[in-house]
Amino acid sequence: MRRMMGIVFISLALVFTFTCTAWAKEIKIGVILPLSGSLAPTGKSLKEGADLAADIINGKYPDLNISIAQWEGIPSLGGAKIKLVYADHRADPGWGADQAKRLIKDEKVSGLFGCYNSAVTKTASVEAERAGIPFVNPDSTSPALTKRGLTWFWRVTPHETWFTADLFNFLDGLSQGKARGVRAVPKDEIDTLAVAAENTEWGAASLKEIEEFAAKHGYKIVESFKYPHKAADLSSEARRMIASKADCYLFAPYVADAILFIRTLKEMRAAPKLIWGQDSGFIESDFSKTLGAAVNGILTRDLFSAELGKVKPAAAKINTMYKERTGYDFSGSSARDFIGIQVWAHALNSAGSTDPEAIRKALNELYIGPEQLIMPWKGVRFGSPFPGDTQQNELGSGVINQYQGWPDGKLHVVYPFEFSTADLIYPFPGWK
Amino acid sequence: MGRILRDIFSFADRPLSERIAFVIFLIIVLAFPWMVKPAYAKVVMIKFLLFAMFGLGWNLIGGYGGQVDLGQAKNVGFGAYATALMMLHWNIPFWLTILPGMMFATAESFAVAYPMFRLRGHYFAIATLCVALVWKELFVFWDWTGGARGVEIPIKATPDFTYMQFGETGYHYFIFGLFMAQFLFMNWFRKSRLGYELMAVRDNEDAAESLGINVTATKVKAYCIAAALGAMGGSFITAYYLYIDPDLVMPMDLSILIAMTVMVGGSGSIWGPIIGAAILIPLDMYLGAWLAGGGRYGIDFMIYSFIIMIIAAREPKGIWGIVERVRKRR
Amino acid sequence: MELAVQLIVFGTLMGLVFAFISLGLSLIFGVMNIVNFAHGEFLMVGMYVALLTSTYLPLDPLVSLPFAGAVGFLLGVLSYRFLIQYILRGPMVAQLFGTFGLMLFLRYLVMFIFGPDVRSLSHGLIVGKSVSLGYVTIDVSKIVGAVLCLMLFAVVYWMINKTRLGRALRATSLDPEAARYMGIDTEKMNALAWGIGGATVGIAGGLLAHFYYITPTIGMVFIMIAFATVALGGFGSISGAFLAGLIIGLIQVVGGQYLSELKFTFIYLTYFLAVVFRPRGLFGW
Repeated sequence: MRRMMGIVFISLALVFTFTCTAWAKEIKIGVILPLSGSLAPTGKSLKEGADLAADIINGKYPDLNISIAQWEGIPSLGGAKIKLVYADHRADPGWGADQAKRLIKDEKVSGLFGCYNSAVTKTASVEAERAGIPFVNPDSTSPALTKRGLTWFWRVTPHETWFTADLFNFLDGLSQGKARGVRAVPKDEIDTLAVAAENTEWGAASLKEIEEFAAKHGYKIVESFKYPHKAADLSSEARRMIASKADCYLFAPYVADAILFIRTLKEMRAAPKLIWGQDSGFIESDFSKTLGAAVNGILTRDLFSAELGKVKPAAAKINTMYKERTGYDFSGSSARDFIGIQVWAHALNSAGSTDPEAIRKALNELYIGPEQLIMPWKGVRFGSPFPGDTQQNELGSGVINQYQGWPDGKLHVVYPFEFSTADLIYPFPGWK
Repeated sequence: MGRILRDIFSFADRPLSERIAFVIFLIIVLAFPWMVKPAYAKVVMIKFLLFAMFGLGWNLIGGYGGQVDLGQAKNVGFGAYATALMMLHWNIPFWLTILPGMMFATAESFAVAYPMFRLRGHYFAIATLCVALVWKELFVFWDWTGGARGVEIPIKATPDFTYMQFGETGYHYFIFGLFMAQFLFMNWFRKSRLGYELMAVRDNEDAAESLGINVTATKVKAYCIAAALGAMGGSFITAYYLYIDPDLVMPMDLSILIAMTVMVGGSGSIWGPIIGAAILIPLDMYLGAWLAGGGRYGIDFMIYSFIIMIIAAREPKGIWGIVERVRKRR
Repeated sequence: MELAVQLIVFGTLMGLVFAFISLGLSLIFGVMNIVNFAHGEFLMVGMYVALLTSTYLPLDPLVSLPFAGAVGFLLGVLSYRFLIQYILRGPMVAQLFGTFGLMLFLRYLVMFIFGPDVRSLSHGLIVGKSVSLGYVTIDVSKIVGAVLCLMLFAVVYWMINKTRLGRALRATSLDPEAARYMGIDTEKMNALAWGIGGATVGIAGGLLAHFYYITPTIGMVFIMIAFATVALGGFGSISGAFLAGLIIGLIQVVGGQYLSELKFTFIYLTYFLAVVFRPRGLFGW
């Protein structure tokens, strides 16, 4: 009799454990990032941003004032935890596609996430489209990605068109006296531009956007060119920019060439009134670490700044957590990957299931309010903000940051003007 | 006619053990999609067949010809772009796009071959590298090929025979068909007159010349044929990934990988490319998938490169070199 | 006029740097006819030596140059002993993929140990300082590099052509068997060639660290330039490498001025056209 009871008890216990673990299951999301090769530092920071978001979702953080911090897993799925399954795409679109297939079919992920490099996002999202699996893109900014009419692809980050609009609104604002701490600058003092863009897909797209906006806003491009980002030497390119006597130097580089360019310009004692970088190379921590005080006064398109913590307390706390783990602040890229996983959590929660159709519906109807986000965005909602866009977040926005006070300094927000966290330094102080 | 067919399909000049091994290999490949569950394994198999095919084409100039060509990627790019541009802009069915790609590759190769074959050894190798890189840069520069943005093919409902878009199994048999076509071609080639002349040139140019063989013409012909074969693989890539750009189909790394898989397997034999691809492709793909993302950057490449170095040091004539060595001892 | 002077100055300086980097490659080619794909990685190791010695020892990075040279020498000799001497047996392409494997191995070993981050030297006697001569502003470290380059070329040239050791090296490259009959230890000569080649590129790396960024993948940036330089100059020719370096430096600068996207194309085309007319490079044998 007792043996019978024992067996019944053990069986019940087993069944109980089994159903518990089956209930508190995992939801796998495949994350494809550049984890090797020359973009590995960026890939590392992106991974860290995503990991932090997953940890916050899966745990309980009562002092963080955003909803996912209280969830402890996805509430509508019985507290199922989010598990990020990583794959390295090696900046090779073919590899990205192959890894996407592996994640979808073998790892059976409920969705995909990534890939930073726009070219890899293109092929990986094709695989998601073919398989009918949702793909959320937090960090690739080539405008073409949301102009393909795909129905399983959503992009969270604003794309190049936004950022270029920001730049020219900033320049206009500067000449109208809206910049904090600076009197109105006569427009003819800043209306000639020299633009240098690296010649892969991203740089070429940036250059085109800048040319279009410059024409619309009445700025003259006196020099513009594309250059190979793996160049060993950029002295003539730097010389060209100086010789053009442009007021503003605009760049669309990756990290290594950004460093080389600024270094070379410094050696040649260039003295423009303004230096601006189109994100990417200019916001990587290696850029400021390597160049030290030489970055002071440089403006960069960005999406985030640690200083935003002053206006958004949740951002400050989460940035502190990130800094404790990694030793550096969120960059615009890692912050976007953080938000991307947040989007996934909200979508899964609304969907109440891991069925692809349910998730698709949830993403299309999703709205996340600005108070949930560490970015100064108006929220997340997918729509068609620019002609031809589909399933693109309409409520995102960029910022323009300026390096001030380095090597121990900060990245201050100088645009949107109402979010400014410090006076703008104008003109560019130059290098001693 | 009968003799040509016999040359294409007959392996009578190879030992029985090889023929049996090959038949087993064919059976495994044919049954693969049904035998194996994980999708990644099927992805690896497709890539293996693709690179085995690339290797066969390269082997023609690099192995049987003994000329180290490090620029095969340009031919792959020509085929890929021909297919992509024709499918995208003019809706031309896939099968009709293969030939223009091959023809362009052949024509371009013919144009550069005569000046290039004035060079020997390392100079030639670096020249091939340079030509391929020049083409890659030009493709990045030209807007009408899409430049760095590449070319995207719209996704069609599968299966689609105009655009050759399928599920995984479809692609498997597709690439297998292309592979077999090139394999049988190589089987015919190695017994053909041009094949023998080429091998004679490889082994001793002066002796070949004295026998009346036009050394340069032979090399040029081989180079052009290898180009056409490479272009065919490029066309497949377009249909497979539905997106191409110069970094995907024309980079230096691709040329080197193709040459390397043949060398690891053993150049100058018809099995070499297959063996080489069978080792290097799964090695690269599994190491990359398992170890990457683990937080420590670079372990997968370290292991991969270590194995390459060991093979290079231990058996520079490739795996097939080992087989032949063992055979000679018996 | 101003433009021309600036271009010539920049081109010559970078050209000397390219020549400096390519010297070791030419030497190794010259003595044993092998394409060293890992040459860019030897350069990268030299850069890391400069970074490490200046970070952990209270020494100026300029002083790290001999260290970088020594490490380069060791790396060259070890590479020869453990890998190259075996792959010399095989066909040329086997040699290619052997050194290609070495390239990947070194690159990812360094990435594994130091991480993929980009770094640079932050302090040093000649770091970040420039000097103005008329309307040309030049980085001091590039000038030092140019001077070092000339010195090293002179030293190597003297060594190869005027010393017994140099004669032994040349004998080994011309006919290894005959050299052995003459009592020359060809294995030692080969290892020495690799050592010297490694040492020169190691020093070049130490110098490059002064005005360049440091990352495990930096080898890729320089390897094609080094190949084109050595091939243009003629494999085995020291003076060829020197001249070719200058030519390529100038082309690169002029290309950057007028059509930067295609500047590598110009370099490759130059090589191609030059060897079509002179199949063994400018001075090769």
